[in-house]
Amino acid sequence: MSNLAVDLKQKTTSKTKINLEVSKAFKIWISALTIAFLIGGYFIVERFITGLAATNLSSITPWGAWIAFYIFFVGLSAGSFLLSTLIYVFGMEEYERVGKAALFTAIVCMIVALTFVLMDLGRPERLLNAIIFWNVTSPLAWEVHFYMVYIGLLTAELYIAMREDLVRAAKMNTLKGFVARLITFKNATINAATKKRDHMWMKILGTIGIPLAILGVHGGTGTIFAVVKARPAWNTALFPIIFVVSAMVSGTALLLAMYIIKKKVQKQPIDQGMVVSLSKMMVGFLIIDLGLQFYEYLIGWYGLEAEHLDSLATMMASEKAWSFWGVQMFLGAVVPITIVFWKKTSQNINALLAAAVLIVIGIIGVRFNIVVPPLVVPVFHELPWGNYAPTIKEWMVSVGVVAMGLLIYSFGELLLPIEETSDEVSHNGK
Amino acid sequence: MGLFSNEKKVDYDKIVDKMLPDARKELDESQYDTELGLNMARDARKVISGKLKIEDFHKVYSSSLTKEFGNYYASETPDTKKKSDGPKWAMVIDLKKCVGCDTCTVSCKAENRTPPGISYNVVMESLEGEFPNIKAVNLPRPCMQCDKPACAQVCPTRATYKMENGIVAIDNDRCIGCRYCIVACPYGARSFDFGDSYEQEMVGYNDVTSPEYGKERGNREKGKTPIGTVRKCSFCFHRLQRGEEPACVETCIGDARFFGDISDPNSVVSKLAASPRAFRLKEELGTHPNVIYLR
Repeated sequence: MSNLAVDLKQKTTSKTKINLEVSKAFKIWISALTIAFLIGGYFIVERFITGLAATNLSSITPWGAWIAFYIFFVGLSAGSFLLSTLIYVFGMEEYERVGKAALFTAIVCMIVALTFVLMDLGRPERLLNAIIFWNVTSPLAWEVHFYMVYIGLLTAELYIAMREDLVRAAKMNTLKGFVARLITFKNATINAATKKRDHMWMKILGTIGIPLAILGVHGGTGTIFAVVKARPAWNTALFPIIFVVSAMVSGTALLLAMYIIKKKVQKQPIDQGMVVSLSKMMVGFLIIDLGLQFYEYLIGWYGLEAEHLDSLATMMASEKAWSFWGVQMFLGAVVPITIVFWKKTSQNINALLAAAVLIVIGIIGVRFNIVVPPLVVPVFHELPWGNYAPTIKEWMVSVGVVAMGLLIYSFGELLLPIEETSDEVSHNGK
Repeated sequence: MGLFSNEKKVDYDKIVDKMLPDARKELDESQYDTELGLNMARDARKVISGKLKIEDFHKVYSSSLTKEFGNYYASETPDTKKKSDGPKWAMVIDLKKCVGCDTCTVSCKAENRTPPGISYNVVMESLEGEFPNIKAVNLPRPCMQCDKPACAQVCPTRATYKMENGIVAIDNDRCIGCRYCIVACPYGARSFDFGDSYEQEMVGYNDVTSPEYGKERGNREKGKTPIGTVRKCSFCFHRLQRGEEPACVETCIGDARFFGDISDPNSVVSKLAASPRAFRLKEELGTHPNVIYLR
C-alpha cells in the first residue's frame, strides 16, 4: 500500500519521464520484496510459535544457518563501513560516489544481522537479558553492546554525511523534502563554517569507528568463535583477523555490485575507473584472505590433533565438501580472481559485476564453513556425530529476514538523500 | 471447629518457664561470675539470631573469660571463613568397576525426567586395541562441574554460574537460549531443550517435571521454561538438598561411583582423588573438573 502512495506522490510532483520509468522498476522491485517478505514472514511467525524445533539444529550442532547469516551480515556491515572510512577519513575521494550508500548499507546489514540473532535465540523475548545481566567475560555479551554503539555511531555519521543534501532537499516540495524537513532543524544552513564542522565530525566519527568496527564489531564476532577452546578448529589467534579481512572482501564486493546494478537499472552512466579500481581492491583483500586461510588450515592439519583433523575433513572431504570447494574456493575465489586479472574481462563492467556477486556468494559459503563443520564433529569420538543441513523453514525465515533488510534499504534510499546528488548541484550550492 | 469449643487454651510458654531452671539461681551456685554468664547467654542468643557477629562476641568476652577461667579458656576467635565454606561436591568414577550397564543414564533420565534428545549422563563406550587384544572402555560422562567452567565464562547473561558448593548451575529463567555454552563446553555435557516430549509413548509424562535446582515447575507445557533454554546435569542438586546422593551414584550396580565433599580431606572422594589411578578428562584445557576418574 505504502509503495502505491509513494508512487502517487512522485507522479504529482511532476518528475521527468526517466524518473517515472525508474519508479516503475522500483515498484516491481518493492512488490517482489514484499511478496518475499510476506512468505518469509509466515515462517518467521511459525518459528516463534514452534520454537527452535522448526530447525535441524541439535545439541550436537547447536548453531547453523542463522548464525552463519548473522556473521555474514556483520561482516558485510563492517566491510562496507571500513570502505566508507577510506573516503571520509583517508580522503580517497575517487570512491565518494558510494560513501553514503556504504554507511547506510552498514546500518541495514547490522539490523539484518541482529534480526538473525533474534531468530536464533531459544527465548527471543529475553534478548535484553544480555544487556541487563552483562557477563563481562562473555565475548557475545560484549558484542551485543558493541553492536548498539556501532549502530549509533553509523547513524550519526550517516546523518552528518547527508546533512547538506537534507538541508537542500528540505526546500523542495517532494517526498524526500518532507522527510528532510522532519529530520533537520529549521535554521539549518550550509556555509563554509558548517562544511568545515561536518567534515571534522565525519573524520572524528570515522576515526572512532575504525577500531570499533575492526576490534569491536567484526574482530569481536570472530572472537566469539576463537575463544572456544572446546573447538580446536576455531581456537586460533588468526581467526578474528580472518574475520576482519573477509569482512573487507565481502563489504567491498557488495558495494561494488550494488553500485553497478543501481546504475544499470536507473540507466545512468557508470564510473568505470572507480569500478575497475574498486574491483582490484576487492580482489586484493580476497588474496590476503586466502593467504591467511592457507596458514590456518596448514597449521591445523600439521598439528595432527584428531578433532582438528576431523573438522578439516568434514569441511574439505565429506559429502558436504562442495560448499568448500565449489562455493567458497571455485565460485568465491578462483572465478572472480580470474575475471579481475584476465585482460579480456578486467575492464568489462558486466564481468566485474559477476565477479563481485560471486564473491558475495562465496563469502556466504565461507560463513557456513566456519560455523557448521567444527560443530558436526563431536567433542568426544564416542559421542554421536552431527548431521546438519538447514530445513526449508530455516531457508524461508532467512529469505524473509533478508527481504526485510532490502525493503528497509529501498525505502531508505527513496526517502533519504543517500544517493550521491549530481555534481552540478553541489557546485551550485557552493 | 475451634470456634465452638469451650476448651481453654494451654499456655505452653508458661509451662516451659516453670520447667526451666532459674538462670540466676543456678549460676549463683557455681563458683564463677553470675553476671558474666547471664550477659554471655544474652549475647549468644543475639549471635544465633544474626544480630551480633560471632567475631564481635569473642572480642567482647575474650579478656573477661581469660580472667575468669584462666588456662582453661584457650579459644580465640574461630577461623570462621573456613567453616562457612560448606561442602564442595565432587564425584569419583572408578572405571575398573564400571561394567557399562547404563543404569546411571536410565536412572538419571528417570530422576530428572529429561525429554527426548537430552541425557545429562551418557556412558561413552569404545574398544581399545586390536583383536584379539581388545579391551572395552566404558566412560560415564555426567557434567564435570568444572572449577573454571568454560560455559559460565561465555554465557552472555550470567545465567550459568558456579555455586559455592562446586556445582555449575543454570538459571533457566534467565537463559536466553543462545546455546553459546553448548558450543563452548569441552565435554558435550549441555543440551538444548527443543520442547520434545515422551507424552506420545508415555501417558502422563508431561504432568510432572523434576524440581531441578530445588525449583518446582509443575507440568511440562509448550513454551514454558525450561523449554527453549539449556539444560544439564546438576549433580541432582534437588536430591542433595534433602540429603540424598545423586541418582546415578545411588543406582550404580557396581558401586563404581562415589560422591562427597572434596574439601574434606577425610572424605572418601578426597582419598580416592589422591590415588595414583586418578585422572580428569581433558585436563590440558584448564577447566579443573570435579568429576575424577580412576583408570
